[in-house]
Order: sequence, then C-alpha cells, then structure tokens
Amino acid sequence: MSYVAPASDVISKSEAQPRPSRRTLLKYRLRVAMREPTSLLGVVMALIFTYLILVPILSMLVQAATVQFGDERRTALETASWTFYYLNRTFFSAISRDLFWEPLANTLTVAAGAIAIAMVIGTPLAWLLSRTDMFARRWFATALIVPYMLPAWTFALAWTTLFKNRTVGGQPGWLEALGFAPPDWLAYGRVPITIILALHYTPFIILLFGSALRRFDSQLEDSARILGARSYQVAWQIILPLMRPALLSAIILIFAKCLGEFGVPYVLGLPVKFEVLSTSLFRNIASRQTGVGAVIAGSIMLIGVVTLMIDAKLVREARRFVTIGSKGTMNRLSRLGAWRWPLTLFAAAIFVLSVCMPILTLVLSTVMRQPANFALDNFTLDYWIGSDLETVALRTGILLSPDLWAAAWNTLWIVGSASITSGIFGLLVGYVVVRTPFRPLSTFLRQVTFLPYLVPGIAFAAAYLSLFAVARGPVPALYGTVWILILALMADQMPYASRAGISAMMQLGKDPEEAAQIAGAGWFRRMVSVVIPIQKGSLVTGVLLPFISGIKGLSLFVILAVPSTDVLTTFSLRLVDYHYTQAANGVVLIIAAMAYFGTVAAQKLTKTNIAEGLGG
Amino acid sequence: MPNIELRGAHKSYGGQTANAVSDLNLEIGDGEFMCLLGPSGCGKTTTLRMIAGLENLSGGEIRIGDRVVDSVGKGIFVPPEQRQLGLVFQSYALWPHLTIERNTDFGLRLRKVPKAEREQRVNAVMKVLDIEKYRHRYPSQLSGGQQQRVALARMLAVNPNVLLLDEPLSNLDARLRLEMRAELKALHAAFKTTIVFVTHDQWEAMTLATTIAVMNEGTLQQMGTPDDIYERPANRFVAEFVGSPPINILEVSAETLSGPATAMSAYLRNRFGALVSVGSVGIRPEALHISEIGQSVPDGAFAVEGNVSGVLPTGGSWILELQCADGTFFLTTHQPPETTSGTPVTVWAESKALHVFDPAGRRMEEADRLLRPERKIAAVSTIKGLTASAG
Repeated sequence: MSYVAPASDVISKSEAQPRPSRRTLLKYRLRVAMREPTSLLGVVMALIFTYLILVPILSMLVQAATVQFGDERRTALETASWTFYYLNRTFFSAISRDLFWEPLANTLTVAAGAIAIAMVIGTPLAWLLSRTDMFARRWFATALIVPYMLPAWTFALAWTTLFKNRTVGGQPGWLEALGFAPPDWLAYGRVPITIILALHYTPFIILLFGSALRRFDSQLEDSARILGARSYQVAWQIILPLMRPALLSAIILIFAKCLGEFGVPYVLGLPVKFEVLSTSLFRNIASRQTGVGAVIAGSIMLIGVVTLMIDAKLVREARRFVTIGSKGTMNRLSRLGAWRWPLTLFAAAIFVLSVCMPILTLVLSTVMRQPANFALDNFTLDYWIGSDLETVALRTGILLSPDLWAAAWNTLWIVGSASITSGIFGLLVGYVVVRTPFRPLSTFLRQVTFLPYLVPGIAFAAAYLSLFAVARGPVPALYGTVWILILALMADQMPYASRAGISAMMQLGKDPEEAAQIAGAGWFRRMVSVVIPIQKGSLVTGVLLPFISGIKGLSLFVILAVPSTDVLTTFSLRLVDYHYTQAANGVVLIIAAMAYFGTVAAQKLTKTNIAEGLGG
Repeated sequence: MPNIELRGAHKSYGGQTANAVSDLNLEIGDGEFMCLLGPSGCGKTTTLRMIAGLENLSGGEIRIGDRVVDSVGKGIFVPPEQRQLGLVFQSYALWPHLTIERNTDFGLRLRKVPKAEREQRVNAVMKVLDIEKYRHRYPSQLSGGQQQRVALARMLAVNPNVLLLDEPLSNLDARLRLEMRAELKALHAAFKTTIVFVTHDQWEAMTLATTIAVMNEGTLQQMGTPDDIYERPANRFVAEFVGSPPINILEVSAETLSGPATAMSAYLRNRFGALVSVGSVGIRPEALHISEIGQSVPDGAFAVEGNVSGVLPTGGSWILELQCADGTFFLTTHQPPETTSGTPVTVWAESKALHVFDPAGRRMEEADRLLRPERKIAAVSTIKGLTASAG
C-alpha cells in the first residue's frame, strides 16, 4: 500500500466534500460540547459568583446614588430615585470634612508612615536574612514573620494595655498605673496606629524583598565587582535598582492592606476621634447612613482597584528585568565580620519589640488584677478559670464563660464551612478555567472570582449588607443569620481559592485526565478517581490558608455579625468596648494562638511556605 | 477491511488561519504498525488525538472498524471513553496517586472485569513488561524507562484493538530508547494490535513501522513502506526530512538546463534531453562515491570534479565534505577514506541513485522511467491512496 501526495504544497480540497447542513452541524457541535459537563458547570458557577460577588458590589454602588429608605424628606425625593445627595454629602457638604476628607487624609498618612517604618526596618532585615551570615538566620527567618500571622489588633490591645491613660475609662494602662501619664498622642490615634501597622506589615517586606534578593542573579553582582565596584557601589548601582519593582510591589500591597484595616484604628483611634476611612464607613453603617456608607465603601474600593492596577503594571514591568538566572542564582552570603553580633542583636530587638513584648504584655495582663502591680498576690488565674467574679457581667473566667465557647464554635463552623466551600469552588473554578473550550467563560470566571481581592473586606461587607439586609425575590433577608457570614466570607476568599485552583490545574495538565478518558472513564469518574485525589494537597492548602485568615478576620464580621452570630473576633471587640480588659486580652490571645499554630500546622502539613500564600 | 479510516479529516482551531490538519485521507489496516512522521507542528499529534477522540473534527469523518466514531456530516461524535482504544502519552501521564498495580488495573476495574480475571490479566501484562516487582510502588518512585513500561502496561491490560502512541520514546535516553523500540516491535508481533505511532524521529519510524505516513503543515506528503519513503521520496520535503546526513540537493533551473552552467544540468541534458522541466536533483550521501581524478566512473553515472574539504569521522563511518562547482556535497562511507582535506577528486553517483524533482518539488515519474529502467515502475501506478486523495 502506498500513497503519493500530489504536491508538497497544501492544496485544500474541503470544498470537494458535501457540506453538512446547518442542523447536522449544530447537532455535531452540541454533541461535542455535551461530551462533558465542564462548560455546564462553568455556566452554573458563573451564575453563582455573579450573584455572590458582582451583584452585591453593584447593588452597593447603586445605593450610593439612590435615595435610601428614611431619607425621603432630606432629599425631597422618593425612595430609590436617583440622587447626587449622598455624593454631595460625602464629598462637598459641610460635614464632608468629618465624613470623608479627614479620614482619607488620616488613612493616607498612617499608611505612608507605616510603609516608611516598615521599609526602614524590613529592607535591612530582608538582606540580613537572605544574603548574610547573621547568627540564627533560619530561626529568624520564621520568627520575624510571626507578627503577620497574628491579628494586627492583638498589638493594638497590647498597646492600650501599656499606654492607656485616663482619657478613657476602665482599668488604666501600666504606665499610668506606675505614675507616668502617657500623653494622648502616644496613647491613641496616629502614632500608635502607624507603629503597629508598620510592625504588622514588616514581614511583607521581609518576604517579598527577601525572595527577590534570593533569586537575584549573583553573576550581575560579580560582573560589577570584576570591573572594580566596591560593595556599597554594587548595592546602590546594581542591586537596589533591580530590586525596585519588588520593593514597590511590597509597598503597594501594604498600602492596600492598610486601606482596609479596621481593628487597629477602631481600638486605638476611637478614644481621640481619630478616624480612618474604614472606621468612618463603620460608623456610617452603624448609624444607618447607608447611602453615605455606600459612597465611602465605593471610594475605598476605587482606591483599592487603582492601587492594585498599579501593582499589576509594576509586576509586568518587573518581568522585563529578567534577573532570574538559572545558573547564577546560588545564594552567596556576605560576611558581616565585626558587625555580625550587633546586626543579630538588631534582628533580635525587632523580634522582642514586635512579638515578645506584645504577647507577654497581653499574657501578663490576663493574670493580673491591678495593672503593673507585680506583687505576687496581684496575680490570679480568675480571669481565665475563676467563677463568681465581682463584675457586672461575665462573672466567670472566660474559659468558663459559655459566650466564649459559643463564639469559638461559631468561628469554627462559620469560617470552616466557608473555607471548605471556597476551597472546593476554587478547584472547580480552576478546572473550568483551564479546561473549558469556551474562552469567554474562562475569562469571566477568572475575573469575577478575583474581584473581591480589589475590594477591602469592610467595603465588601458593606456591599453584602446592602444586598442581603432585606428579602429580595426568593432570597430571604439574610442579615442576622449565619448564612450572610458564610456567603460573604466564602466570596471574600474566592480570589485566593480560585488562584490556587487555577495554578494547581495548570500544573496538573491534561494528560492524566485524558489517560483516564482513554481508559474508559466518564467525566464524573475522572473527577472522583483522578482529578480530586491528585489535587488533594492543593485542596487542603486552599482550605487551610483561608481558614486561618478567616479566624483572625475582623472587618467582615464587625459589619455582618450580630450578637447571636458572635465569632471570637467580634466577641473580643465587644469585651474591649465594655472595658473587660483581661477577658478581651484573653480572647485575643486565644485567636492569636489559633492563627499561629494553624499557620505552622498548615505549613508542616502541606510543606508550603507562607510566602507563597501571601498574595495580599 | 481497514481498521481505521480517515476521510477528508480536517481540523482548524478558531482564530487561526492555517489548518492544523487539512483534508487528510488515511487508511490504517488491521494489525498494521503505522508511523505518523513529521516535524513538530505538522499535525501528526492532532491526527492521533482526533483518532482517540480527544479532539473533534472540523470536517470529514473517522471510522474505526465498522463504526463511524466522528463525522461532522452525520453529526456523530463518540467520546474517547467509548472508543475502546489505548493511548500512551509522551509524558506517560501515570496517575501519581495510584500504585503501579492500580494504574494498570484502572481500565479493567472500569470495565467491571471480575477480580480473578483482572488479576490474571494484570499479572500477565506486568510480566511481559517486566514491572511485577514495582507493583506496590508509586509512579514517582520509578525511572523514566520503568514509567514508560507502566504506561504501556496500563493500556495493554484492557487489550485494545488499536494502540496509539504519542512520541512515547522521546523522553528516554538513547540506550533505553533502543531497548524499548525492540520491545515495542516484539509487542506488536505478540499482541497483533493495530498500532499508530507518532514520532518526529525518522530512525524510530524506519525501524518500527510497517507503513509510514509523512506529514507536513497539516497535509499528508507520502504514505508507504519505510523502503518506499527512503528510496522513492514523493517530493522534496520527504526527501530532505528523511535521511541523515540529509540528502544532497542540486538546484537545476530552466536557464541552467539550456546553458553549460552546472555539471548536473549538462549531465541531464546530455543523457535525457527529454527532461526539460527539472527543478532539482537529490542524491543520498551514501550513494555518492569518490575516485581519483582521471579514473573511469561507471557507465552513465553522474560525475563532477571537486575537492575534499573535510573528513569527519563518526565512529565506524565517515562523512566527507566535498566542494564542487555544483555546490557542497556530503558523502558517507563505511570504508576508511584514503584521502585528506584538499585532495582533488571525482565525485560520482549512479544514475539510478538520482532523485529528480520538478520545479514544484514533486518527484518526476518520467525521470524514474529513464534513470531506473530496471525497477518496476508499475508499483507506483497501482497506488490505492491516490484515488482516495482525489475524492
């Protein structure tokens, strides 16, 4: 049998074949599309996420421009008619200064200050950890990341425990109790908020800048040395310029995080009426100013979107600096010589300041009756396990309080079910995005699940409130139930979950699944016996990491939770409000312990590094 | 009866103007070992995936046995899991979460084969491929060659009528590749399965296949036995793609044919005045010979004077680089060359070793009739596929 082609050039003769009719063509296409439910699954998920992510955000934006219930008289318009009233009120009215402009200025200055301090501390630490022979380098590499694993307002509570003065009632701070009255500027407001955020986000710089330093091609450095450059010249003229994109990226991420930060300014700003955007939003929502709240939430969102767009641009630009060599990336260490001890002490000091001191303060505060009285009889375990305390409410130690256990149980199952759902959804989104032959569906799913990333948690919560506060169509009013929390949390976690799912599916490739298909396995069978078992590891990560960040999360809960759906974070915040200092600190310590040990366990279990889960 | 038949198979991806596969007609007989050979991007893997059902057609029809499995015109598409084929992937695609044994019996479990029979089949196929000792290991604990065997075992266990192989040997080192080639050939003899094998490696195709289909840019260039492909390339693409070192090509144009420009054009004009529309002539390196200047060459041979410009030993054989007026030639020989660089020589080839192509690159049948009178040209005219291609 032999066959000789008529020519080497391509001669298409498809017109020689009978053209199939339109109907058969449609039938054929349908049959091919229906051969597996991937696209169907994709459409269902696109609908779910449109409803859970897109609609709340749009509904909130609509609220900013329509008359809200109760505002008819003030606006002289019908409810739900279009109006510029809220925009005017927020941006141009007599109270716009208090509502928006001052909080905005405060947000920006606090963020700028925090970034500056984090840079000053973080860059040298990143260099010490990744490129020098500092003592206990590996230990510090983990220890200095701890502040990021703990909720930021742990530090805020530690700060008040130390510096609280008589401006606010309740137990005085330690300094006050020792006879030094800290001034207001030190006790509350801008200075402590800035310092705490700086300490909390320094790990960002260490992680992002450090990993860029480690990947840096040392051949670039060597070339400069061979041409006669001294160390400082190499650092200033070669390394730093090339590191700029990584550094800028870290800065922008910190800024985006500061924008949505609620707990710290809430605890430390309120006593002196120091407001940032997130607390202003909270106050407006708490006082039922939903229209203005929507405008502020929209503004936070807008700033967030712009910031992350800048970041995306920088990341693209950073790719042009191809510093990731294959050969020269060995990690060569600089010898510190005489500076080895002093610099190690510097790192140790930062660790003491950002981890030991706050934790120790909190721990001590929960076992002392009077602040800063170190006499032995002042120590007690009553606040943990005591009963019949001489307090108005909460007459038992917190470990014996049913409220704590109810809140802990709520936390576990609300955050747990949200994380498990988002983890599974994330994998399915990844599957559809990678596999569907229908490109627009893939793009839409990828983008809609990423959207919450651009929206600070507090604005996202506000969006949820606006959509689910009242019954709409078949969906009952969810406010006050756990469902709104689970849904909001799940949607909020989707960016991480879907990104994890997409990258896992990309890595898997098509082959193992196609091999199963050839072997005779249908779609469902392939999912159950091949895809999900192979992705078990990434599924665990995709559930655990959001779970941990959910446990310490505050901004979503503070707006959406009610006393019956109390979680640990809102429970402790209420204790702070009622000045049950010891109990509040105790609960915060419990949260911090859960977050820390959870992270450590997740890392052990999945052999991943927190740096990878640190998209933002 | 042909086991697999592609009729006017056609594949284009949305947005791309060039077709991945254009108007492909292919018949693969029962028990045949068919190689799809071509450079990367020529559409050979797409063809294989269309047979497997992992890609659907944009036009045309595919038939396996009596069953139409994919036909745009008839609106039929049988999904891969119902086609009862075997496919070994280039990456092996072993399931990392299953042991070797579970990888191997996966298909049998799906088919609900009773346990006793399943074990017996798995044991048999594991024994043939010598992977029994790894049965409780996981794929990541095996070397590339062992994984390759498991991938084969997994497919052979269900005893498919057709086994598709997508460059299965390309990730193996040279020695293992040789071993696996021999093994594949033995397996083919033992199981009598129809095998379709995709490769870009011509030696692999030559050594394994009963039939080779050479593809380029989505079209079939030539289909035939390995000897056919090598001895009678249908066009310049096939001639240049198959063979290493590559065939020597001498460009001949209408102008040089009428004038005394090159030795080849002079030779063609003198001997075969009838051949006017020649585009180029190819001579395989091993068909070239050298003699001392002035020594006689066989009657009717093409000869040209030149210089040896390089002697490249390749271990057991030698490649000579020769500079002639007609261009640079490469010559391979298994005799130690008694010549050094710079020696003037006569380069010659017998007339039957010349492959003559027209200006469009097609093989000129009339040249064969003139240059190779002793060969039975009749074989070419009974081509079965030629009529199929016209339809």
